[in-house]
Amino acid sequence: MHLFLLGVSHKTTPVDIREHLDFTARGLDAALAALAVRPSTSEAVVLSTCNRAELYVACDEVASARADLLGFLGEYHGLDTSAVFPHLYEEVDGAAARHLFRVAGGLDSLVVGEPQILGQVKDAYAAATEGRTVGPVLNKVFPWSFTVGKRVRTETALSEGAVSVGFAATALARKIFGDLKERTVLVIGAGEMGKLTARHLKAQGVSRMLITSRTLAHAEALAETIDASPVPWRDLLVTLNQADIVITATGALLPILTRSQVEGAMRGRRNRPLFLIDIALPRDVDPAVGDLDSVFLYNIDDLQAIVEANLTRRASEVTKAEGIVADEVKKFEAWLSARCAIPTVVALRQRFEAIRRQELDRLQPKLAGLPPEAKTRVDEITRLLVEKLLITPTEQLKSTPDPERLRSDADALTRLFALDAEDPVRDEPDRSSAARRADDAGKAVTP
Amino acid sequence: MNTIPLLLYLAAGILYAVHFSTRSATVGRAGTAVLASGSLAHTFVIGMQTMAAGHVPIAGTTQAISTFVWLLALAYLCMEMTTEERALGVFIVPLLVALQLIRALNPVMERRVPILESAWFGVHVASLLFAYASFALACVIGITYVLLFKEIKAKHLGFFYKRLPSLDSLDLMNARTVMLGWVFLTVGVVVGAVWAAEAKSGPIYDPRVQAMSLADPKILGAVVCWAIYTFALYTRRLGWGGKRAAYLSALGFAIVLFNFVPIGYFLTRSHNFGG
Repeated sequence: MHLFLLGVSHKTTPVDIREHLDFTARGLDAALAALAVRPSTSEAVVLSTCNRAELYVACDEVASARADLLGFLGEYHGLDTSAVFPHLYEEVDGAAARHLFRVAGGLDSLVVGEPQILGQVKDAYAAATEGRTVGPVLNKVFPWSFTVGKRVRTETALSEGAVSVGFAATALARKIFGDLKERTVLVIGAGEMGKLTARHLKAQGVSRMLITSRTLAHAEALAETIDASPVPWRDLLVTLNQADIVITATGALLPILTRSQVEGAMRGRRNRPLFLIDIALPRDVDPAVGDLDSVFLYNIDDLQAIVEANLTRRASEVTKAEGIVADEVKKFEAWLSARCAIPTVVALRQRFEAIRRQELDRLQPKLAGLPPEAKTRVDEITRLLVEKLLITPTEQLKSTPDPERLRSDADALTRLFALDAEDPVRDEPDRSSAARRADDAGKAVTP
Repeated sequence: MNTIPLLLYLAAGILYAVHFSTRSATVGRAGTAVLASGSLAHTFVIGMQTMAAGHVPIAGTTQAISTFVWLLALAYLCMEMTTEERALGVFIVPLLVALQLIRALNPVMERRVPILESAWFGVHVASLLFAYASFALACVIGITYVLLFKEIKAKHLGFFYKRLPSLDSLDLMNARTVMLGWVFLTVGVVVGAVWAAEAKSGPIYDPRVQAMSLADPKILGAVVCWAIYTFALYTRRLGWGGKRAAYLSALGFAIVLFNFVPIGYFLTRSHNFGG
């Protein structure tokens, strides 16, 4: 059994091709159902986000699975696969697991370390579980990838620090005020930047958000989209007293908040800290405001500098995260190769059980006189004997780390026990009586 | 016997320092575990001494210091468990180590003089030690508040920014510990005054009891502390939270420490029952 991956991502494929391969529009269920009936693949998970579309399947033969998946892509999306083909990447077994682990860990993301992707991988797996298209291989590798994602998050600083201006402002606000639920945010200016930052703060649970703009209609329009209250421009200074966090993003050419204005507002605040986020260009807040005690003034350049520093730090954590991935891939490969042992183990068990049955049948006339409980006991003893004999070889085989060694061991077992013989038990009585005779003759026959 | 808790506190201090610089959660948990076992060992030591002497070892300054260390360790552990915030340990544990060192270097078991055999005396010392432990926490919280405040103000988000809780929660923790300490300080001072008045008119004559007045440096120090913390509480109501409250609690604890150790050993004429 192989793990096989076929997909496109932001790294290999421009967006105009990627958008033709999106699976989310029609729902993952439809795609999974269509994949499930393909002849060469036994399990399937579809991971489709705005940055990637990937098919993970378990198959016996890679070549036919590839052909099958390409056919599926063409049929499902109704497109000529030759246009897509140059952009597709494919990975098998350990390399496929590595890719999945890197994706789950945020290493393959557009913004390295972004946390959403792990949730998306979990959703993709959940959809497949619901659609019953997962089996032993994908049930192993996907939960494994969640562990890798979690390890990367907790053991490295890959996801640490805000990497957008909005997040940086929010993180600062949380460091100053802790919980933002009880805080009041004032947005001055109804532009796009102010809206974005306000949205980030809203996502942190800010309950009271006020918006003011020179044109009240603009403030009202924006207030409606982000669930805030519009405030007339003339009330600006009064409102300033109530706000804990102020975002300024107007197109004004001269500062709209001067030092004396903010100083006045601070008196009313009884020295509670005020966080001013000035993301306008040219600046809306007089830089001298930053000298006031208990006022934290950050402008767009300050926030940008935080973002840059965080990005640099993330980049330096990549090696560590790759180490974790490599570590886990190794373990996964060992698990996958141990799975190769399963057919041999099963055959061996069947073989031993057949011998046991055969011997019991042969002894049937001699056992006939025994009471029923003694017969049960004989059956139990022989069964336990077979179990005990098989336990060590089974464990040894499953725990062989080296795939080459495993294969040669499995071959040896197959040959020694004639596991691939058509009906190996047929001549058993003769063989065993011959062996018994040899045994009686003096035990020297066995090498 | 007091060296075992000392060594454990020292080990915990090293672990907290490593945790603070590397932010490894495992090391942090190990630090907490070692600190908890240190305070457990300390509980055992104090219990043994209580049984041997027949009273809690708080009669002399050295014993009181060790009991204070024990209380502070417990108070800190409580705070760590309720706030799930381990970053302050690196500031508290060195204080435990330094003060416990005094006890370990003075292994004498100070005898309790008969005049101290009063329930008032026990309440007096116990409340003051509680108060001091709270003030120690308030001071450390205040210092970290100022450090974090300065980092955010200067836009150099670095060491403390990553490790400390928010300014708001530090301020809240500071307010609570100061309030708690102030209640115990008030109880301790009032009970002390009542007891001293009682002892002065009692049957036993003791020059130390006669020296108990505001003119004694130790008593004056306690009253100054009380004034500072009362001021801190009052001004907080007027909006002097944050940085000013932090500075006040640092100043208050500096006086507490000065009053406790050098004045307690060398200057007081009324509180030297250590013999």
